[in-house]
Amino acid sequence: MDEILLEGSLTELADRFGNITSNILYPESEKEVAMMVKEANKVGKKLAIVSGGTKLGYGGIKPEYDFTLSLKKLTGIVEHTPGDMTVTVKPGTTMQTLQQYLKQYNQMVPLDPAYASASTIGGVVSANESGPKRLKYGAARDHVIGMRIVYPDGKIIRTGGKVVKNVAGYDMNKLFIGAMGTLGVITEITLKLRPLPKYSSIVTLSVQEDALHDLKAFIIQLQDSTIEPVSLELVNPMLSKNLFHKEEYHLIIALEDVKKAVLFQEAWIDENKPTKAMMNVLKHSEDFWTTFNELTPNSQNDFHDTTSGVMKVGTTNMGVFPLLQECDRLNLESNVQILAHAGAGHGLSTIIFSGLPENVVQSIRHIQTFSEESGGYGIVKHLPFELRKHLNTWGQQKDSFYLMKGIKQKIDPKNTLNEKRFIGGI
Amino acid sequence: MVLLAKKKKAQIDPDILALTKIVGSKSILHHKEDLLSYDCDGFTIHKAMPKAVIFPKNTDEVAAAVKYCANHAIPFLARGAGTGLSGGAIPLNNEVIISLVKMKNLLSVDYENRKAVVQPGFVNLKLTNSISHKGYYYAPDPSSQYVCTIGGNVAENAGGAHCLKYGVTTNHILGLEVVLPDGEVIEISPNGILDTPGYDILGILTGSEGTLGIVTKITVRILKNPEAKKTVLAYFDRVEDGSHAVSDIISAGIIPAALEMMDQTAIEGVEAGAFPVGHPPDIEALLLIEVDGIAEGIAEQIEQILSVCENHHVRDVKVARDEKERDRWWANRKTGFGAMGAISPDYLVQDGVIPRSKLPEVLKEIRNISKEYSLRIANIFHAGDGNLHPLILFDSRIEGETEKALLAGTACLKACADAGGSITGEHGVGIEKKEEMRFIFSDEELEAQTAIRDVFNPHNLLNQGKLFPTPSRCMDIKKVVNETSLTKST
Amino acid sequence: MSLKEKELMKNSPPCSSNSLSNYLWEDHPDEEKWADCVHCGMCLESCPTYLETGQEQHSPRGRVHLIKSVAEGKLEVNEQFMDPVFQCLDCRACTTACPADVDVGGLIEEARGQVRQAMPLKGVKRAVSSFFLKGIFPHQNRLQAAGGLLKFYQKSGLQKAVRSTGLLRIMPDHLVEMEAIMPEIHQSTHQKYKNVEIIPAKGSSKAQVAMLKGCIMDVMFSDINQSTINVLTHNGNDVVLPKKQTCCGALHIHAGDRETGKKLAKQNIEAFQDAEKVVVNAAGCGCALKEYPELFRHDPEWKAKAEAFSKKVEDISKYLYDTGYEKPQSAINKRITYHDACHLAHGQGVRHEPRQLLKDIPGVDYVEQPNADTCCGSAGIYNITNPEMASAVLERKMENVPKDVEMISMGNPGCMLQMAIGVQKYGRGGRIVHTVQLLDWAYQADAKKGVNDGVISEKEESTDRS
Repeated sequence: MDEILLEGSLTELADRFGNITSNILYPESEKEVAMMVKEANKVGKKLAIVSGGTKLGYGGIKPEYDFTLSLKKLTGIVEHTPGDMTVTVKPGTTMQTLQQYLKQYNQMVPLDPAYASASTIGGVVSANESGPKRLKYGAARDHVIGMRIVYPDGKIIRTGGKVVKNVAGYDMNKLFIGAMGTLGVITEITLKLRPLPKYSSIVTLSVQEDALHDLKAFIIQLQDSTIEPVSLELVNPMLSKNLFHKEEYHLIIALEDVKKAVLFQEAWIDENKPTKAMMNVLKHSEDFWTTFNELTPNSQNDFHDTTSGVMKVGTTNMGVFPLLQECDRLNLESNVQILAHAGAGHGLSTIIFSGLPENVVQSIRHIQTFSEESGGYGIVKHLPFELRKHLNTWGQQKDSFYLMKGIKQKIDPKNTLNEKRFIGGI
Repeated sequence: MVLLAKKKKAQIDPDILALTKIVGSKSILHHKEDLLSYDCDGFTIHKAMPKAVIFPKNTDEVAAAVKYCANHAIPFLARGAGTGLSGGAIPLNNEVIISLVKMKNLLSVDYENRKAVVQPGFVNLKLTNSISHKGYYYAPDPSSQYVCTIGGNVAENAGGAHCLKYGVTTNHILGLEVVLPDGEVIEISPNGILDTPGYDILGILTGSEGTLGIVTKITVRILKNPEAKKTVLAYFDRVEDGSHAVSDIISAGIIPAALEMMDQTAIEGVEAGAFPVGHPPDIEALLLIEVDGIAEGIAEQIEQILSVCENHHVRDVKVARDEKERDRWWANRKTGFGAMGAISPDYLVQDGVIPRSKLPEVLKEIRNISKEYSLRIANIFHAGDGNLHPLILFDSRIEGETEKALLAGTACLKACADAGGSITGEHGVGIEKKEEMRFIFSDEELEAQTAIRDVFNPHNLLNQGKLFPTPSRCMDIKKVVNETSLTKST
Repeated sequence: MSLKEKELMKNSPPCSSNSLSNYLWEDHPDEEKWADCVHCGMCLESCPTYLETGQEQHSPRGRVHLIKSVAEGKLEVNEQFMDPVFQCLDCRACTTACPADVDVGGLIEEARGQVRQAMPLKGVKRAVSSFFLKGIFPHQNRLQAAGGLLKFYQKSGLQKAVRSTGLLRIMPDHLVEMEAIMPEIHQSTHQKYKNVEIIPAKGSSKAQVAMLKGCIMDVMFSDINQSTINVLTHNGNDVVLPKKQTCCGALHIHAGDRETGKKLAKQNIEAFQDAEKVVVNAAGCGCALKEYPELFRHDPEWKAKAEAFSKKVEDISKYLYDTGYEKPQSAINKRITYHDACHLAHGQGVRHEPRQLLKDIPGVDYVEQPNADTCCGSAGIYNITNPEMASAVLERKMENVPKDVEMISMGNPGCMLQMAIGVQKYGRGGRIVHTVQLLDWAYQADAKKGVNDGVISEKEESTDRS
């Protein structure tokens, strides 16, 4: 990132997305982080925390911070005992580096967020990012077992531990996962690992919209069966055009197990799939996921003239069907192109908008209302700073909000870290 | 119950009257004789009497009772089945106990979206039993699942034998309705939708041992039964061989659904208990290993497991022939703690966790502790995730043994902490391991946690005196021991 | 308490002031029994009264805790202590659930003994209790007379009259329920075999067994006794009915009257002295007989006798299963479920045998009911002494009985009465039968068809009223 920054485009980046300043601090150790944070807190300076810099368009309505604290130089594996299946890593390490390192031990961090090449583990944990495989593996809150956090007053606090099962004291890890860096600066993360699957494949089923109902019935049948899908990602026709060169709904079913079991499941799907569905088995699943995970625009690659916006929408599992249909209605009716994929097994959807700024904002607002009215939520994960001001990027606050405010107040009373980045202006 | 009504109503204090008004006269206990049964939970070394026990029937009654207590500065706490092993439901401060056992309904099951909504008093195993006809189950399975409540599971973030593959309670809680210590009722993701924006209140409440709020409704994830299950029982002549087999199974890339270990003393106990299997008395360790998943893939894993066991000089290894045999093995394992009653009048169970790779050396250290305190220690534990359960056997009728047992327990936890582990994997801190929290957390880290408590529970009326060491006192375990032993001397 | 104190207790008289214990009489709850309890709570969900009340003191571990507390001097033997101890159904389900085999049942009975001595029953309760327990059950003749009255009541048309005149409305609810399901009274085996020494096996004899007639069983369910005799003789057993046998004493022991219990036990031990096998068709009685040694734990001489005796006792279903029985060929085409009597399943560990017996009858469509081994609330005379709790427990039981069964089979007369109330009260179908009756009926049908030539059908004694 600093290459871009050094070339003088930093101002441009700051202008376009916010959440960063041209005064960047690059601590090289936890101790330095603590020193810097403590000092800032003491003198009332505001810090923006940045790691991989892919999420500058994610939340935040504060035009300027005093300093940016970059975790760019806090990288590397701290500890890895293969037999314990745990790894301790510094926050600035990219997902790709981490996974490649673990691969030699036949292990992995079971998280598949967008942009593994640029996203860092620190950012992924802070934003609670996950991908289609969350269905089987869960999210950061399920894998992070311990952290070291620099508190705004400079204290270094350890949360959790290094063992896979631990209920000593409050589960403090949970507080910092998905907290968008508003409570502390993560300087070390310990994660539970999984063995790399021995064999994997991807089965896609494609249907026209009129057979979407059959596809839903099939998903229910599959869930009621003993098949163990790793993902049940539903892709709308517009995105399918990019991915599969075919403008139909696609269901991506990932399978990971020993080979026999994967083949058995492929056969089961073939036998039970809706009559109107076309089935395809992708041989190179890893390549596919790489392509898939780089679809989403982020603040590192979005310098196009058209405006892009990304939403994360939470619904019930089956709520993804009406959601995607609504997206497609918008595709036809508005001047915005909407690409969407949705986890039918976990209810989390990623929706990518592009078009004219005002149209993008309008569509986002529409989907947000739509999600909230059906009991879910819609948050804006990526959008230029100016446009974010026109939206409530975190959606409605719930009745537990006063507790969140209380927590922020307790830990960071002077709003030193990532001020106004999070829900309700926390 | 019939007699309750006949009891004298002389000089009832106003608090009792007020609480009676809230829950009704049939749902409150306040006579000494009735309260006596509530002076401890599954942790019996420390006892204290509550002021009253109330049995609310719905959230409104819980909220009203909490509000009353909050307004009158009366300490209170919530209690489920009272099977906790760390004393989390013991009324140290003469609390009003809010028993949630009457709120025991399964409110709804939504198979399409794979979730169920239960009241806190709903018994863990009943959830699985209620959905098993459709092939679904609820994953967390603490050994007490026959009787323990899901509300209690949330408070303790309960684990279980099958958590190695499927995670503990916190990984299966999707939403909560909570009565906060001021009587306010909040709902967090009641419809079970993931990643509700904001701090993870769900995550911090789960495992907070009833110090942050009282859960009145719980949305949980339900899972589909795996297609096939195979259970392996392996006998080892040497404990070390058993421990190494554990590491090698995991290193082979297999994540068993469960991977349990018992040592010789433990085997003696379970064989003397109600569900003997016929384990040979002269082996040093046994492993109970279960793999599940797609049937086509299981045979391969079983073969691998068998060959790992062979490599580590297993004396005998067998695969359960049928469901009946598997159930027998599990009943034997799951009733293991209680079965210690058959070989010792008292026991103290510890719950340390260590990195798996440290298993051999920590087990050795525990043997040394056993020698040092001349108390027998049985080990029944979740070897797969390094969660040890040393059961320290003692006889409280022998003077000084309780104190010795407590010290031995502390020593076991110290050994776990020193090996880079934790003092509790699933039983919670409660009052039992308060002081031992200092083995793994600094004062500042403990303060960071109590700061969170202050947000939820600013007056500290809810389950006071649990989870955190007493700040004024330095780490003087002996002092604690002396205190606790006083209650046990008859 | 410390070991020292324990030693002192052993050697000092019962009223020793050296003990903290508030148990002041002999034969008090046994410390060894509660020492096994580690308060784990695994018993909670098995206990019908805990399920009903949700209260710890009405749970097995709660009761053990209280019993222990009295010994520790924290609690006195008073009414508050009595309530939990007497609310117990004595169903023993906790014994099955307990990982450490704590003998909760034994503790409860011992505690009841203490309560009854500390607070003897007074007034009407005393009168009713002693009428049944002391006045009727132990005395065959009086019981027969009472049976005769019942029979008269039913045969004379008085029952009809009572039922039609609305006289029932003035009876307490549970008595109305009892009246409604009162079984039809037949001639008792006591009467019938008054002058018979040995009822011979049909065909060649392979063994001789003694049968406990039971008190209620022989009066109210004499047809079941007849069925038991039929089935035993059918399978090559000579049956004797020792004349001196008496009530088993279970109800007395449950009620805390351990002295009468001991008296009856001694009489039975002597009555059955010559028997090699004592077959029982009432689970409650069978369990009590098997537990006689516990009654005499402070009396070495009788304890030894009781131990020898209890080894001879066997439930009819288990006896048949163990010694072999002929599988009938005639079909009983009924949908049948089985209810585990507490004192059979939890008390004697007999679960599989009666089920197998049912399944061996052709045509039986066997359905297992959920929680088949949960108490029905009968529990001896519990449904008379604690009607509210008994009916709550019954309601829970009936929820589990499959709606479409035609018969509910079991092995205990108390359960049969209680389950009959259940069927009646909740408007359910399902005839209540004793397992052994079904086998008898099938044999009789075989005989009618001449399936088994050697067997003479006792048509005039047929118990088949279906």
